Amino acid sequence: MNGDIMVIGSFADDGHAAHAIEHLKEEHVENLRAFAPIPSEKIEEALYHGKSHVRGWVLTGGICGVITAFLLTVGTSLEWGLIAGGKPIVSFPTYFVIFFELMILGGATSSVLGFMVNAGMPVLDPITGYSDRFSSDRFGVVVSCATESDCAKVEAMLKQDGAEEVTRETEQAA
Amino acid sequence: MAAAFDQTVEPTYQSIDREVLRLMEPGGLAYWAWICLCAFFVCIAAALWTNQIYSGLGVTGLTQPTMWAIYITNFVFWVGIAHSGTLISAILFLFRTRWRTAVYRVAETMTLFAVATAGLFPIIHLGRPWFFYWLIPYPNERYLQPDFRSPLDWDLFAISTYLTTSALFLFMGLIPDVANARDAAKGWRKIFYSLVSIGWRGTDRQWRHFSMAYLLLAGLATPLVISVHSVVSWDFAMSTLPGWHSTIFAPYFVAGAIFSGVAMVLTLLIPMRRILKLNDLITPWHIDNLAKVILLTSLVVTYSYIVESWATWYSGDPIEQMTFHMRYFGPQGWLFWMMVTCNCVIPLLLFSPRIRVNTVILFIITLFINVGMWLERFVIIEGSLATNFEPSQWRFYHPSVTEIFVTIGSFAWFLMLFSLFARFMPIVSMTELKEGITWLRQALRNNYSRAS
Repeated sequence: MNGDIMVIGSFADDGHAAHAIEHLKEEHVENLRAFAPIPSEKIEEALYHGKSHVRGWVLTGGICGVITAFLLTVGTSLEWGLIAGGKPIVSFPTYFVIFFELMILGGATSSVLGFMVNAGMPVLDPITGYSDRFSSDRFGVVVSCATESDCAKVEAMLKQDGAEEVTRETEQAA
Repeated sequence: MAAAFDQTVEPTYQSIDREVLRLMEPGGLAYWAWICLCAFFVCIAAALWTNQIYSGLGVTGLTQPTMWAIYITNFVFWVGIAHSGTLISAILFLFRTRWRTAVYRVAETMTLFAVATAGLFPIIHLGRPWFFYWLIPYPNERYLQPDFRSPLDWDLFAISTYLTTSALFLFMGLIPDVANARDAAKGWRKIFYSLVSIGWRGTDRQWRHFSMAYLLLAGLATPLVISVHSVVSWDFAMSTLPGWHSTIFAPYFVAGAIFSGVAMVLTLLIPMRRILKLNDLITPWHIDNLAKVILLTSLVVTYSYIVESWATWYSGDPIEQMTFHMRYFGPQGWLFWMMVTCNCVIPLLLFSPRIRVNTVILFIITLFINVGMWLERFVIIEGSLATNFEPSQWRFYHPSVTEIFVTIGSFAWFLMLFSLFARFMPIVSMTELKEGITWLRQALRNNYSRAS
């Protein structure tokens, strides 16, 4: 967000917050973010097109897990090279259990890693516009605006769309 | 302390927060006395295990042919207990099951600490536990064959994957709730919760990637649940020992694990609900549904017992038949019949809707199931080893004081970890309760009208 002044609208439910976001986007207001105490499909649909990139991380993690399992089992067995019980040194059917487990392990760890990287976490600095109530019972829409007239226009739109409270805050320097 | 809701006031986001955050207030004298009692039993178990390491496995009741007994029974039992956590949190999440929201955190927490407890037993069972890493198969200079064909090695991968995935799943679900607790906390707790919540603010960007990651974690955890206890069952089924060598073991163990795990969830949940006054968050609706899962899995377990016995009779294998004859009518046959009573007969009471919501009777039933499922593992493991191929080797096992107190210590260890977690972390998910607030309101209305 580039502006110095943040206009913060507080909503009682995600429906009104999503409606406000759609309204702002129709008016070509782009510098906005939302806060929510629960995941909201309505807000996500209003703000984003397409799916999260975490999916790619999980797929990559799972594939890496299988490759690791393949190298570990086949490589270690070949390195040892002892025929036991008349079975082939590399016995794939029994290795599939290891492949499966490491695929899950790779996918699970990558999903958390992908979430953290894509969501920009951990967040060490305070986020402008955040209020304790946004983790409890209120939905917030925060708009960055450059001029006083823009701010007044955004405030009017947020109130029109059902904001219970509209406040202003100066954006903190990063 | 008064409950947040009454018949005339419906739950709100704020009242849910208030109720859950109340549980995280510093514990009283009774709470710390309970923790000390658990710690006392853990210390006794640790002292006896130390003596076992010093003196050798001779202080246990392990002897040929029963070299697997209580310790491995405890391992399988705790892995089984861990199962319901992922069932409730992951599988029911994917099916969007409404009643899971109030109980899944308890189940997930139970899963993590149950796996952590289970993981101790293969190490406790070792004569030289400091060499536990020899189990890890990798190229080495120790003349140890890294045998990936062994189910024991599969188990190592399965359990460590399950522990990691369960911990990640619990951690992910905790982030928004801990952030909520952070905003309400002061002093060292605020610093602690800030660290655990890793700067969560609930922005659109955070929720977007969180929701996808959580959904995919649930998707990955679901087949993992099925695989882990299947792999544990193959520790036995891959051998040729009569009583173990059976193709039914994987589904039979998975059903049994869910059965015992959900019973343990209720064993923890019912006293917790009463002591912490959670009647308005965990309603009879939630308890009723958990009881139905117990009833269903009890019927599956009963069916497995019947099929296992029928397959033994139909096989015409005299050695297999003799093992089962000894299981039913041998010197330790009373354990088998006690197991059947606890796992197959007593849960039939849950066909009654009144009993399913009577928390006292339900609590007693879950205790019987816990005992029954522990006995099931003991009967399979010890009974089959004691009556193996060679009758001249038959010898029944008797536990030593060390094994009994280490087992008691494992329960104390599990309960201590669970109790500490419940006091310092949100043991009920505020976020998911808020998401499903409509259903919670409906459940409360129905239950109050039923009560009136």
